[in-house]
Amino acid sequence: MAKKPTPAAAKDRQAKIQAAQKSQGSGANRIVVATVVAVVAILAVVGGVVWSQSQKQAAIGTSTAVPAGASMGQGYPAFADVTPAAGAPTVDLYEDFQCPICSQFEAALGPTIADLAGSGKIRLKYHVLNFLDDKTGAKNSTPAANGAFCAAADGKFQQFHNAVYASQAAEGTDVTDAQLAAWAKTAGITGDALKTWTTCVADGTYTRYVSSVNDAAFTISGFSGTPTVRINGETVDLSKVATPELLTKAVQDATT
Amino acid sequence: MSTGMDRATPDVVDDPPSGRRERMLDVVGLLARLFLGIVLIYAGGTKIGHPLTSQRAVQAYEILPDALANTVGLALPFVEVVVGVLLVLGLFTRPAAIVATLLMVVFVIGIAQAWARGLTIDCGCFGGGGQIGAADTTYPQEIARDAVFALTGAWLSWRPGTLASLDRVLFGH
Repeated sequence: MAKKPTPAAAKDRQAKIQAAQKSQGSGANRIVVATVVAVVAILAVVGGVVWSQSQKQAAIGTSTAVPAGASMGQGYPAFADVTPAAGAPTVDLYEDFQCPICSQFEAALGPTIADLAGSGKIRLKYHVLNFLDDKTGAKNSTPAANGAFCAAADGKFQQFHNAVYASQAAEGTDVTDAQLAAWAKTAGITGDALKTWTTCVADGTYTRYVSSVNDAAFTISGFSGTPTVRINGETVDLSKVATPELLTKAVQDATT
Repeated sequence: MSTGMDRATPDVVDDPPSGRRERMLDVVGLLARLFLGIVLIYAGGTKIGHPLTSQRAVQAYEILPDALANTVGLALPFVEVVVGVLLVLGLFTRPAAIVATLLMVVFVIGIAQAWARGLTIDCGCFGGGGQIGAADTTYPQEIARDAVFALTGAWLSWRPGTLASLDRVLFGH
């Protein structure tokens, strides 16, 4: 391996020069690169937070409208024209129009609940949530919920609500304007009321209200999703109200 | 230089064996980097675009006040992606690995305290999260998984020199 001394010495010197250049160069480089990376990283995180916040805000909207009888964060009192019997328990029903189990729940118990509320045996409040939109990334729960409260302005909440569950849009799919219009038609919204309803849907008049109800629901200890039934403020195990008979009994037991 | 010669003359304690070991560890480091980096990018990526779910996932741990939990919920996905990208590129491997390790340790502590306090939550590690049924919790698995990630990060913090890293391309050894 050993060669003549002169080239070896030259090579050695060359290597030393290179090493010196390298260490000098990399020192300066490192600080510059570190600064650039740090700035990019901070911009990415801060920009991401701002973007997420604006995305969230856009989904919520700015309207302050609330449906009749409700306020921000509060459930919608259904069958408001019925005078509840003295001692009738309050039943809070938490649903998301995108939730398939809510559809099954409604198919099994919807008529019973409507009967109980319609005959004044319970004070029924619907908490229509939209958390599945954020989860699935679809525009489904929110437009459907908004559409239902637009229908409520025409006194057709219950009809619209039933129409949505009768032909529910698949979880994770967007609800189209045509779909919303079909629900409105099934609910029996016509004429001038339909025009008002269409404007309300286009404006997303109740999206902020729906988001407020959604946020409020998730502050309840142990609240894990929909459907959830609460009788007089106590969350009920769904298996204990799984049939019309069980539900009716639970309501009787809670009546004072 | 040939391996045959090394074996024939074991008294020659030369560079090759330890050099080979170093090269092997460089490859291990590369795999660790890619593994942890991709995990972090995936974990952050699944949360981006789901701000409310992400915020609720952080709130469900019931450690931070809601306002702070909301900020963490929005920022964490991007932090994860940034650290993950640095790891995949092998750029500032040691600082990135230290941050990744600390994140994982915090996650393990968060999950463990939720378990100990009897909360029933999904860790929300890869999106989702929030309260779930008591029968649906998987705390031991979640902790074990994050512990593996933490160990990977600790290894890289200990020995950040890896094959095919930007650190080497830009700064040499």
